Amino acid sequence: MGDPRILVVGAGLAGLAAAAELACAGHQVLVVDQARQPGGAVHRQPLPGARSLASPAQARRWRALMADVDAQGARIEIACNTRFGGVDHTGTVLLTGDAAALLQPQALVLAVGAREKVQPRPGWTLPWVTTAGALQVEIKTTSEPPAGRVLLAGSGPLLLALGAELVRLGQPPVAIIEAARPFSHPLQSLALPPPYMVEAARHLARLVRARVPVFTGAALTRISEHEGALLAEIATRKGSLGLAADRICLHDGIRPNDTGLTDSTALPVLRLGDCREALGAAAALADGRAGGAALAARLAGLPAPAASSALAREALAQARLARIYAHDSAAALAALPADTVICRCENRTRADLDALGPSPTTRQLRLDGRFGMGACQGRFCADWVARLARPDAPQPLGIPRWPARPISVAELLAAPDLTSGEFE
Amino acid sequence: MAKAQDHDVLIAGAGIVGASVAWHLAEAGLKVAVADATGPAAAASGASDGAVSVASKKPGVMARLATGSLLYTRELAARGLLGPAYAARPSYVFGAGEDEMAAIDALIAKLAALAGPVRVCADGGPKLLPGAGAGIERLVVLAGEGHMPGHKAVRAYLAHPRITPLWPARINAFAADDSGVEVDLGGKPLRVGVLVAALGTSTPALFPWLPVLPRAGQLIVTDAGPVGALPGSLTAAAYLLAKTEGPGREALPPVVIDPLGTGQFLIGSSREEHADPTRVDFATLRHLLARAAAAYPALTERRVIRAFAGIRAAVSDGLPIVGPMPGSPRVIVATGFEGDGICLSALIGREVAGMVRGASPGAEWAADIAALAPARFDPARQECVA
Amino acid sequence: MSGQIFWNGTALPYRPGETVATALTRAGVLRFGVAPGGQARGIFCGIGQCQGCLVQVGARLTEACLLPCRDGLMVSDAGGPQHG
Repeated sequence: MGDPRILVVGAGLAGLAAAAELACAGHQVLVVDQARQPGGAVHRQPLPGARSLASPAQARRWRALMADVDAQGARIEIACNTRFGGVDHTGTVLLTGDAAALLQPQALVLAVGAREKVQPRPGWTLPWVTTAGALQVEIKTTSEPPAGRVLLAGSGPLLLALGAELVRLGQPPVAIIEAARPFSHPLQSLALPPPYMVEAARHLARLVRARVPVFTGAALTRISEHEGALLAEIATRKGSLGLAADRICLHDGIRPNDTGLTDSTALPVLRLGDCREALGAAAALADGRAGGAALAARLAGLPAPAASSALAREALAQARLARIYAHDSAAALAALPADTVICRCENRTRADLDALGPSPTTRQLRLDGRFGMGACQGRFCADWVARLARPDAPQPLGIPRWPARPISVAELLAAPDLTSGEFE
Repeated sequence: MAKAQDHDVLIAGAGIVGASVAWHLAEAGLKVAVADATGPAAAASGASDGAVSVASKKPGVMARLATGSLLYTRELAARGLLGPAYAARPSYVFGAGEDEMAAIDALIAKLAALAGPVRVCADGGPKLLPGAGAGIERLVVLAGEGHMPGHKAVRAYLAHPRITPLWPARINAFAADDSGVEVDLGGKPLRVGVLVAALGTSTPALFPWLPVLPRAGQLIVTDAGPVGALPGSLTAAAYLLAKTEGPGREALPPVVIDPLGTGQFLIGSSREEHADPTRVDFATLRHLLARAAAAYPALTERRVIRAFAGIRAAVSDGLPIVGPMPGSPRVIVATGFEGDGICLSALIGREVAGMVRGASPGAEWAADIAALAPARFDPARQECVA
Repeated sequence: MSGQIFWNGTALPYRPGETVATALTRAGVLRFGVAPGGQARGIFCGIGQCQGCLVQVGARLTEACLLPCRDGLMVSDAGGPQHG
């Protein structure tokens, strides 16, 4: 028997906006999230007693969305500490954690956000080399700066934002190493929507006031451990230098968090927000609303509503940002030394990849090279392996496969089966 | 005068059977090319559990061929070729309830009749295997079988210097004449002396009258733990029933727990009539895992990192198809192993290479190989019979 | 309610609502054990994606960045090749 509810996975901007639209149209919605509270990556909520670091605009956006959700009352049920295990071809969904179940919802909305791209570098697997996003989550949760010296490296607007946040918390980063030269595109920058400009200017002002060195057109080429700290080798436009840090945060942009998300023909499955196309917070909110309304219309047999103009605006702004941050990552990738770990899960290196010979097939990369075969299912290596193996014509390293994430056998066996129950 | 040939032999299909045929021919001095629509070990060979098992084969032809192939695989491993791919290991068969007890009795009788390299070392309860759980009523321990991941064997075979790889390239059509075979390989014409088609589930694309059907089996891969905790495969007797009696004949989940060299487990498997490698369902996965965990409780603490359907090439009468096509001695097929290719590939490769070179089969295998001939599906012959 | 978790047997304080990953980070724990490939484990992505921060609760591996602290929770490092 079908469950009368629509299942939304991800209680961030896109998921909750979709849930509010669907509930408003009269649907019963179950929203699940792996975290302990709604918020997603952007609106990660502070621990009880910690102060929120959200800007007034961010705080307003979140309060407004939560008000929309609360207005729907019991039509929206939110279950946290609950993980989405996947959907199978019969339309059955597996949830584990607090709301563990096998259920067959009316429709499935996947709004599981983005994840960071991090280009492999020698030493990137050392402890306390993390993604920039990991530090951001930590800061938002505890509202405290991390202990010790922090170095930010890679590429993308997040590095400046996170650097400014660290300044605000009284712990300026040692330096920011940016591969692109974002300040040498004034015309592109001026064409960005005003909120982007205002935010960037505020970040830069903070960084300048705190005299944080920002190297552009520069790359972190190697990390090693030295006398209890991390030592970063930096190649700048003017030569190389070494910087010591206690924590190094890497970030090379964001991409949809879509590994292992399979579709099912047994029910409507929608991807909304960053997990459909990584365009940032404003777009995720707009996409969630539009997608929720479109799904409600589809379920009611009504024509699809007009596309969201806000979404188109954000897509344009993100395309501009991408041009501002464009740089030659292919050269950096091609120059990686043989001992660089590419697959973090199974410690497979550049040399292991090269040993497969020229133009290996996807099956050879997986079976013989064991790339993309580890527990993360290639989330952090597949794109790079594809580009290293066939620089001219990268092939996807695999088809989406269940599960969406590693699932304990015990939890898989214990999830209550709600698919055979009767619903009113 | 015969037209110039690009290769002495073209092997269509870079799975374990095609790779073994290619190696045997190359070793005999022939110029061999291997074409595959995807690449090496892209289908069943890459998705297999790697069991080189006599126990799981149907009594009769299959069990005899498996015995011969097991011995020959060991020989190729000792000679170095399959050394990195093959490893001897014990195997365990367990059961509960009447049907499975009978299946275990039949297994013991079968192995005794074969008097081959696989023997029963112990027949008792779960205490025979450290870590075995309460889901096991009876357990037999077998010695003499082995493990060989398909992709490793394929890689070893295809590394022969006289083999030319041609992939990705699909064979669109072929036409045999008295002196050779014209092949349309991805739009490119190719002339070869003999075509060997080891195409697995793709067989009907070139040989529509051969009843080869996809038979999917859901497989589960866990994360890695201590290597060697389970020394060999742990197979439910229901799996033997499913293989010998056909799918759906077993009352209990036909589960096989296979420890991999990485410390992971590969757990299978259902038998379903479709060809979609992504098609899995929670009901079947739970059905298989529940029995697997009852038989080997440490599995409960593992995590599933991947599940998919391996697609085997099954034949309507349950036997592989091996031999020259009726009326076209220069076209030889070797297909339809339904997961048994890992075990049979060594011997089949040698025998098919012999057919290509016009050698008469060794007396020991002539009758069993003849039982696999494609002529049994020859439409002309069937009309006559009718 | 605040309390303590046990990391490899050593008591560590945590704040209500905190994950094991943040509690360990604040306590200065860098290494969460050794992965089967021999490399050190630790926090990397912080959002349950990379499988880097696996820790053991009982015999079971789980992501520290998704695991909420609760009083008396026994967590240990994910071991190494010697014991898995």
